[in-house]
Amino acid sequence: MSKRITIDPITRIEGHLRIDVEVENYAVGNAWASCTMWRGIETILRGRDPRDAWMFTQRFCGVCTTVHAMASVRAVEDALKLPVPANAQYIRNLILIAHALHDHIVHFYQLSALDWVDILQIPKADPAAASKLAETISPWTRNSRNELKAAQDKVKAVAASGQLGIFQNGYWGHPAMRLSPEVNLLAFTHYVQALEYQRKALQVVGMLGSKTPHIQNLLVGGVANAIDLDNQSALNMEKLEMIHTLLDEVVTFINQVYLIDVCAVAAMYPEWFKIGSGVTNYLAVPDLPLDSEAHGYDLPGGVIMHGDLAGVHGFATASDPIFRQSVTEDVTHAYYQGDKPLHPWEGETEPDFTQWDGEKKYSWVKSPRYNGQPMQVGPLAQVLIGYAQGHALTKKYADLALGQVSAIGKINATPALLHSTLGRHAARAIRAAMLGELAQKHWGLLVDNIAKGDLTVHNEPVFPYGEVEGVGTHEAPRGTLSHWIVIKGGKIKNYQAVVPSTWNASPRDESGAHGPYEASLLRTPLARPEEPLEVLRTVHSFDPCMACACHTFDPTGRQIARVKVL
Amino acid sequence: MKRKITIGGIGSVLLGDDGVGPYVAGMLEAGYKFDENVTVADLGTPGLDLLAHLSGTDALILIDSVSNGAPPGTVTLYRKEDILRHGPAPVRMDPHSPVLSESLLIAELAGEGPQDILLIGITGEQYEVGAGLSEPARKAAAQAVVEILAELDRLDTSHSKLSTQPFSAWWKPMAEALPVAGPAETLAPALTGR
Repeated sequence: MSKRITIDPITRIEGHLRIDVEVENYAVGNAWASCTMWRGIETILRGRDPRDAWMFTQRFCGVCTTVHAMASVRAVEDALKLPVPANAQYIRNLILIAHALHDHIVHFYQLSALDWVDILQIPKADPAAASKLAETISPWTRNSRNELKAAQDKVKAVAASGQLGIFQNGYWGHPAMRLSPEVNLLAFTHYVQALEYQRKALQVVGMLGSKTPHIQNLLVGGVANAIDLDNQSALNMEKLEMIHTLLDEVVTFINQVYLIDVCAVAAMYPEWFKIGSGVTNYLAVPDLPLDSEAHGYDLPGGVIMHGDLAGVHGFATASDPIFRQSVTEDVTHAYYQGDKPLHPWEGETEPDFTQWDGEKKYSWVKSPRYNGQPMQVGPLAQVLIGYAQGHALTKKYADLALGQVSAIGKINATPALLHSTLGRHAARAIRAAMLGELAQKHWGLLVDNIAKGDLTVHNEPVFPYGEVEGVGTHEAPRGTLSHWIVIKGGKIKNYQAVVPSTWNASPRDESGAHGPYEASLLRTPLARPEEPLEVLRTVHSFDPCMACACHTFDPTGRQIARVKVL
Repeated sequence: MKRKITIGGIGSVLLGDDGVGPYVAGMLEAGYKFDENVTVADLGTPGLDLLAHLSGTDALILIDSVSNGAPPGTVTLYRKEDILRHGPAPVRMDPHSPVLSESLLIAELAGEGPQDILLIGITGEQYEVGAGLSEPARKAAAQAVVEILAELDRLDTSHSKLSTQPFSAWWKPMAEALPVAGPAETLAPALTGR
């Protein structure tokens, strides 16, 4: 007899991820990923000025603001074949990196660490022993007995108050939780410290973008930052030095805390290297262009099919002709009209809502496909694609992380283990470490270029009377993002955003092939089906983000998630 | 040292009345001058990123659309205990969940949450893509400004009126909108030969 479990955080109007799984003999037999809200937000752009599009797309999602702004200006620039001055590339790159560092830190600590860390074990920990343990794996200076004791006291105070507050809904004491009290304490201490460092990364975004969460400094053709090293109101040396200091602090946290914690947790749950692989086709786009015409990139892109690293195909540019031709969106199981997969430039977004039906239509997310195949996107895709191509920076941090896991867990951790739930977490930390090093590099590129006397930040766009089309890509924190634009007579004719979570959360397609979330859940063991912690571990490892954000506060407390077991 | 005050408008400007929070933030920025300890921000739909704006803030004033069964355009004031009454959402699937209570609880845990919180809730009428604000929400926005200025008086900080021009939001529906980037002076004969 199989049981059906639905995990569906219910809200009045907000779109959410809903997961349905069928459980047989304490393992997932079948799975469905659905988004519960229409995301046809692109329609708002038709007829508008392409130079304004980024301000609207920045509002697609309240968490991924800058990434949608960046993909949008890049789409228009691609359509116009408009180069971007080198300074503008570096300033944009620094914003993208700082945003991603913030995002990756928050994702691990605030959004998924408590899937692995048992808060109720923390009061039992010995802070001195935890501090000693930490010393053996990291030079981080804030692992002192006192610092750990202070964090432990916070948890004790919450527990003593009888109100678990932020912790009231965890699966504490679940049999799948297995860290020692001391490791739980260390991870929780870093959960609190992470709040400080993610904020420092956001400060960099704010200093360069002039505001957060919505940056103001973008222009089609460049950026609006005035550069004058001696002027108080411009981007000057003092601000650049402050940015450098902030990035240094964030990078230290990533290398000495985040990367180490992920390796330590991974080493203690090695079975999770064998769970959650799912779709092993991977897609990433090159990013962090190195000069005005983007002759090179610091993050490699490409495609891996069926987990075959040796057969990796690299993309030469961020709008590689093969990539441009190969993307379609299928709506067989999505609540949209249409009878065949369409290329995004021809994309339609006409709703056709029916009831949730796992055999027919069941999601507001379309199914993007690459040459007809489902693809996994995200840090894991990027790390594997870089590793397979022998990309030096990727290899440096991937080998470092695998070495740490091997040493702590006394296992032989190889890149093959990365096709997994833990692999996704490890890859995100590896990518964060890579981005940290690249932050310093691109800061240097910007300062050197300014020192050469180049203060250009913008090239004026000129729109033809006729029709042009473009694609703007960005390797965002959650993976490959692409904005597809058709411009006619200087106005937007069509606009489609193919977002990372659409790739990953896509429903089945016309051939019945599962999307990556769905495929990754198959065969996941569940110790207690009524407390599906294991499902959450795998879903969270993708860093889901449904990009249909609408937050209406409901004071009656009806924002109740439901874990329904049928 | 003066207490740090953050005024934040929350909501999606693309979804009808959900944009009322950012709209009120825009009205304040365009129309008033505040003391240096006051920050006004359009926070969009920040999820847990709200945390970044809570730390170091002593008093928080948020404006958001609410679903409370009242007639559209109703302005309701909520204090910290009202917001925290129901705790965080039981299952967190993604970083977008409405996480006001969760963000406040995490900030409190880290010892950096604001002590004084006022949430100005405006009951929305419609949440249609690209629709802009309904008339009830627009009227409520003006009332929200009055409530905010009263709260600032209570918090003992001053403000002055800068402009009496009506605020014009850049995200207005197409029919009412002018290009944000300025006049389309760039429209030129085809250059690319494509």
